[in-house]
Amino acid sequence: MSAKLRDERGTRLRAAMERAGLDLLVVTGNAWRSDYLRYALDVTPMEGQAVAFVTADDAWLMVETPAEAERIAAEQPGLKVEWSTDLLVRARHALDAVRPERTGLAPAHSTPVLLARSAAGAGMQAATAMLDGLMVRKTAAEADRVEQAVRLADEGYEVFRAAARVGKREFELVGELEAWLRTQGCPENFMIMGSGGKEVRTMRPPGERRLAEGDLVTTELTPCLEGYYAQICRTLVLGAPTREQLDSYQVYLDALEAGIAEVKPGNTHGDVARAQNDVFRRHGLGEYVTSKYTRVRGHGMGLYVDGPHVLEDVDLVLEPDMTLVVHPNTYHPVAGYIVLGDTVRVTASGCKVLTRTPRELRSAPAGLA
Amino acid sequence: MRRGLMSWSREELPASVLDERVARLRAGMNREGLAAVLAYTSFAEPAAVHWLSNFTPYWSEAMLVVLPDEAPILLASLTPRVHGWIREVSHLGEVVSAPKLAQGVLDMLAAKGVQSGSRLGVIGLDSLPAAVALPLMKAWGTAAIVDAASLFASVRQPCGKEELALADRALGIARHAVAGVPGDVRNTSALAAAIEASVRAAGAEEVLYRVAPDLSRSGALRRLEGEFPLGPAYALELSVAYKGHWIRLGSSRARGETPAGWEAAQAGFAGSLARLAEEGADGLSAAPAGLSRWTLESCLGVQPLTLARTDEQEFARLPPGSLAVFSAHAALDGGHWYQSAPLTLGGGGQRGQVLRG
Repeated sequence: MSAKLRDERGTRLRAAMERAGLDLLVVTGNAWRSDYLRYALDVTPMEGQAVAFVTADDAWLMVETPAEAERIAAEQPGLKVEWSTDLLVRARHALDAVRPERTGLAPAHSTPVLLARSAAGAGMQAATAMLDGLMVRKTAAEADRVEQAVRLADEGYEVFRAAARVGKREFELVGELEAWLRTQGCPENFMIMGSGGKEVRTMRPPGERRLAEGDLVTTELTPCLEGYYAQICRTLVLGAPTREQLDSYQVYLDALEAGIAEVKPGNTHGDVARAQNDVFRRHGLGEYVTSKYTRVRGHGMGLYVDGPHVLEDVDLVLEPDMTLVVHPNTYHPVAGYIVLGDTVRVTASGCKVLTRTPRELRSAPAGLA
Repeated sequence: MRRGLMSWSREELPASVLDERVARLRAGMNREGLAAVLAYTSFAEPAAVHWLSNFTPYWSEAMLVVLPDEAPILLASLTPRVHGWIREVSHLGEVVSAPKLAQGVLDMLAAKGVQSGSRLGVIGLDSLPAAVALPLMKAWGTAAIVDAASLFASVRQPCGKEELALADRALGIARHAVAGVPGDVRNTSALAAAIEASVRAAGAEEVLYRVAPDLSRSGALRRLEGEFPLGPAYALELSVAYKGHWIRLGSSRARGETPAGWEAAQAGFAGSLARLAEEGADGLSAAPAGLSRWTLESCLGVQPLTLARTDEQEFARLPPGSLAVFSAHAALDGGHWYQSAPLTLGGGGQRGQVLRG
């Protein structure tokens, strides 16, 4: 990523540390939860645990293997990196030697327990909230990165749609998209999908099922660019959509529009969720926006693929340059599982819809692959 | 995140093999007086749970509870709507929804009559996420929760013939993909795209890349983010998973004349591999001819590959028959060289083998 953006994040982080009275911030991560490390040091672990130490004027990183140490040192020549197979024990010793009241440790949920049980662990929630605030309330440059990732999502969805053919197996379809994403320099993509009829109740990793005529093919496609994720959710039909499918789909179109209309400064994630759910409730489909059938009505987008959830009881207040995906994905009793979602950016007066892919229920030819 | 094919072939990995692994763990539990063993899994730490059940979460996290007298129970943070998928790809007893894993564990132990405060083993306790570990320790008592990493490592290797065959299949997928890379590939994006298309079409669950784009300048293998031009000589390392079984395959590739020193390095590498397969890690010298440094990795815990030994130090003792990956670098006058390959270790009168794919 650009040194300018890295420096910008570093400046914000150190200002936040100063406000919080922290001399040292210790940030942990691994291949699953790399977002906090990515924010703090622009590091993405590939294997094992990693622990970053950030002070007002210095930073260093500890990892578990020589391969990871050599890799990260090559990627960031200015960063001090060391490795130890006893990483967590050594990091714990380091934590035990500092003033806990002046030390932050994050993230609270995924930090290895050996470190969490140090005296600095008492302040984990506060340090995590500090970082969460920085990552959710993005700078314009960060929101720009999400916009760039949306371009990949839009183009990627067209690749997916063009590759979806009767007879093709789900994992082959995803493989074609993944190969295209690599041509774009995209290292990472969160993606689940579904295919079939009314029996399909959710999305999951691609399986060995062969696509069939009349299938609804659903996907959440979430490419990552310079650490920032953007998501698109779309449903297509293999062949011509039925009247039932089209009528059912209209509810999702209306819900998405209603949700996006609520994305504006001062409103909350709860407002965005409620607007979507109200559309379903008006159609007598309130049961299908409960946790029995669906998870969330969207979520924040940024360095983590599943940021703050868009649910009716989430009171996160929207501010300019926050980015989120709005998606009323759920099961419809007539048509089956349908997904539809756009990534948006909060602006001073409302929001900018970043996703450009048409929202209508589109078809892919029913011909054989 | 996993987005390749995640599945369970009962032909390639019969349920009886998984049952036998659980039985080996239970025998250790019994020896160590553990009422239960807990194994946490996320896609960053998937290996222990996968070895016991064939389950890897494509997303989120889960905990496997191994009790003395019934099939392993999975507590999953994933939505119950994917429990059907979990059952398709895994060999498990109960699958239980547990948005809060620690509370799920406590409820399950109570439901199964495990006496509060009895000894629990956690595979990889030190790295267990705080959100899971802290409430568990608070409720159960920290002193009663012990690290079962050593116990698990003691039963994890040597590998069985089924695991060996699956690893060999992963290697075959990787080899085929590398063989299909166009000779005139100019940058890392084109390189990765060619690999990706091949391995995913062949059913790989995952592929991770590390590339040294220009060996005349650096031998450091980098993550691919963005695009890098490839020099006349580059190194490519693929970590490929097939149905949860990981191997590494690394090679140095020259698009023109073979750089000076490569043949000697390759000979040194081949000789070292043969010696490892013949005698195990103790048979390998710290500085084999032609090589500057080396590592030996194997699956011993929660990560697919753990560093067991380098040319300078041994971190974990690998028994004969262990499935391992040998990697070596050479610093040459004109640049760098790298190679890695999987094998099973020999030793103690037992012959291992270099995997062929």
